[in-house]
Amino acid sequence: MIRTEQLVKTYENGAIKALQGVDVAIAKGEFACIMGPSGSGKSTFLNMIGALDRPTSGRVWLNGHDLTNVPDLDRIRAREVGFVFQLHNLIPTLTAAENVEIPMFAVGRARAERQKRAAELLELVGLTHRANSIAVKLSGGERQRVSIARALANRPGVILADEPTGDLDSATGREIMKTLEQMRRESGATLIVVTHDLEVGERAGRWFRMRDGRMTEDAR
Amino acid sequence: MFVVKNLLRRRVRTALSVMGVAIGIAAIVAFSAIGDGFQASLSTYFSESQAQLAIFSGNVADMAMSRVTREQKERVLAVPGVLEVSEGTFYVAASAGLRATGSLPALLLFGRAPGTRLMRKYDNGELRGRLLMKEDEILLGFLAAENLGKEPGDTLDFLERTFTVAGVYKTGATWENGGAVVHNAVIQKHLAMGDAFSLGFVYLKDLRQTERVQNDILNAVPGLSVTKATEVPDYFSDQLQYIDWFVWIVSLVAVIIGGLGVLNTMLMNVSERVREIGTLRAVGWSRPMVLWLIFSEGFLISVIGGVLGLAWGVAGAEILVHFAPKGFIHTVYTAEIFGKAAVVAAVLGVVGSLYPAFRASRLSPIEALKYE
Ligand SMILES: Nc1ncnc2c1ncn2[C@@H]1O[C@H](COP(=O)(O)OP(=O)(O)OP(=O)(O)O)[C@@H](O)[C@H]1O
Ligand SMILES: [Mg+2]
Repeated sequence: MIRTEQLVKTYENGAIKALQGVDVAIAKGEFACIMGPSGSGKSTFLNMIGALDRPTSGRVWLNGHDLTNVPDLDRIRAREVGFVFQLHNLIPTLTAAENVEIPMFAVGRARAERQKRAAELLELVGLTHRANSIAVKLSGGERQRVSIARALANRPGVILADEPTGDLDSATGREIMKTLEQMRRESGATLIVVTHDLEVGERAGRWFRMRDGRMTEDAR
Repeated sequence: MFVVKNLLRRRVRTALSVMGVAIGIAAIVAFSAIGDGFQASLSTYFSESQAQLAIFSGNVADMAMSRVTREQKERVLAVPGVLEVSEGTFYVAASAGLRATGSLPALLLFGRAPGTRLMRKYDNGELRGRLLMKEDEILLGFLAAENLGKEPGDTLDFLERTFTVAGVYKTGATWENGGAVVHNAVIQKHLAMGDAFSLGFVYLKDLRQTERVQNDILNAVPGLSVTKATEVPDYFSDQLQYIDWFVWIVSLVAVIIGGLGVLNTMLMNVSERVREIGTLRAVGWSRPMVLWLIFSEGFLISVIGGVLGLAWGVAGAEILVHFAPKGFIHTVYTAEIFGKAAVVAAVLGVVGSLYPAFRASRLSPIEALKYE
């Protein structure tokens, strides 16, 4: 479950107001889509609820953790959140399987366990045959699948995807969205996707619109 | 898996910084081994003389500059407990006059007096031929004999004299084996020393009185230095210290070059991998984990460089020994040398990687992820 209360984030001593009081509540297992023009604060919002950064004021709860009070955001990120970025951000010299293992180091999984889980996840995203290919040799869609598998490595309660299809052609983009959604259903995690593409959010249960650091929800 | 793969992606850069460390460590190992070899030879030289005390004129920097007069020697002999004072002189003969077959830059000459206790050390079972008796005879160290291609009975022209090789000896001091022993008078005449000598080897009647006799000589003969034979190398540590200094400066340069190499490599690696480090942080890696990753990479460079440097250092020193005139240098490898090399390599690793690792760990994941 995600909840924010009067969430404010400013940069450069208040000169830039990226978030100007956002109040939302998204229940466990929901699929939410956030749209809005460039610079409206979408990524900033994801960073706040994903424990990547701390708000200037207001509060954030993530799966019962009050993020304004936890001393150790790394731990929360490792255990509760899975990120999928626009650019896949894989480590280019590691194999697909090794990339999936990376978050598991952060929670101290043993080697055998890491490898087993990575194989499992790659199977889920349909990449078993590419498990031992190094990241640079994968296609754009394959890389994004690896990063989805990586996001799920530690069984997070929330998957946050920031323009996951932004770098892909529309057919591949659709495939990726299908995979993300399937993962959400199977893992029961909350899925929040930021996108410019109306089609991407098609199947979302909830639609949010961001403008000038404020969030409104569209009725569906 | 991570650390090694990261280092392999910039092979040339990694190889260069490994080499930087290796060269530094190699220099330290090689010079230390040679310096220790020299010190070991020096102490063997004195212990084999079996003298208890050594006398030489006070406050001379160079043993060859020392002049002990006949009168001083008489006074030493008058001290109760002194059995004998064997005279020693030195001269480095340039090889130009030697017309030797071998390639010798110089021949180290030791002046000795026939029949003295000091002379007995050359008659140690390894001697071929016999000890020298006269001014026109010479004893060659076995390495010098090899270099010159001389055997007992052969003649040797130098110092405007013709010497007959009386014998070929082998002692424990390497540079003695690369040199030759002549009658003191040869060197005394050549250097116009009169009847003075440079170094007196003092033999006592009773070993237990060494301390007392040393003090008596000090009191009886002002201007003379008296040292226990076992302590001569320490006494000359002032001179040996410049070897130490040299090794230290080499080490320091090595640390600076090697350290800067590792530092530069790791800083470049970090700045190229900002996004990657941001990703690691985004998926939950803590600052200490990132710090440890980058630190391990730099440290591994030093460890590999250190191991390689040890091998290169030993190889380099042995190549020097092989190509230098026989007997001039030799090497001693102590645990201390290897320990020092290991410590320096470790210091390089720490110095070179700590700052880049710290920088990497301070990267904010959000900034790093935006970084192009
Ligand atoms: N680290 C930062 N320092 C200063 N300003 C920032 C920083 N991060 C974001 N901003 C500003 O905050 C505002 C919101 O940025 P954000 O990245 O959240 O927008 P966005 O909706 O994700 O845009 P886009 O669709 O282009 O990704 C922008 O005006 C941006 O310039
Ligand atoms: Mg954005």
